Amino acid sequence: MGNPNVGKSVLFNRLTGADVVQSNYPGTTVDYTRGYMKLKDEEMEIIDVPGTFSLEPKDKAEEVAVEMLKENRDSVVVCVFDSTKIERGLYLALEIIEREYPVMIVLNMWDDAMVRNIHVDVKKLESILGVPVVATIATAGEGIKEFVSRIGYASRVKIEDIMRGVGHYGTDR
Amino acid sequence: MLSEMEFGEEGKVIEIDEGLRKRIAGVGIRVGKKLRMATRQPIKGPVVIELDRVNTSLGFGFANKIVVDVKE
Repeated sequence: MGNPNVGKSVLFNRLTGADVVQSNYPGTTVDYTRGYMKLKDEEMEIIDVPGTFSLEPKDKAEEVAVEMLKENRDSVVVCVFDSTKIERGLYLALEIIEREYPVMIVLNMWDDAMVRNIHVDVKKLESILGVPVVATIATAGEGIKEFVSRIGYASRVKIEDIMRGVGHYGTDR
Repeated sequence: MLSEMEFGEEGKVIEIDEGLRKRIAGVGIRVGKKLRMATRQPIKGPVVIELDRVNTSLGFGFANKIVVDVKE
């Protein structure tokens, strides 16, 4: 899952070898696609969904994404971010974490962030959130191996624990 | 109001209509956030604002419910 136009489909194609339509426009994916990949001799099903900003759908494509999430209660959710738009990505990721899905985070378009001089401390983000975080450049195939190797470590975390880690727990309520 | 900002003006969000708050939180607009007016279409048209170095468009109805403190 992730915001529109962050490269979810490119990542999906990288993982499955599929050829889902990918383009540099938000809203390219309007329905979901299933694909399969092998991880340590185990076949995994991967679902590519349309982008959404939140879990409160505002259009048909967002509805599909939210429905897919609900229908797959036992799935690991890979939250894909545009590395230059971390806050938006976090908003959605935290909503998903809050609903108690095991999550891992992919900071895609890492090259774009570098070009724009945006620095993200991957390790720190990982320690605050308590879920795996990897940086990727899906279009170039960079970081994909590390991403795949860590899917198994995706974990359910309590939002309260994250808040405590951030140090603001209880201050804004 | 955000809808009244002039081109290039910068400001800080100080209030968002209750019913709108959740709808736009997903794109990063929240109280305390700094933004800059990038484009404003005439006759109650949509606005484009820049925040976090990202351009985001908003309908007039939305922009009209966001109070911004504009820096002089």
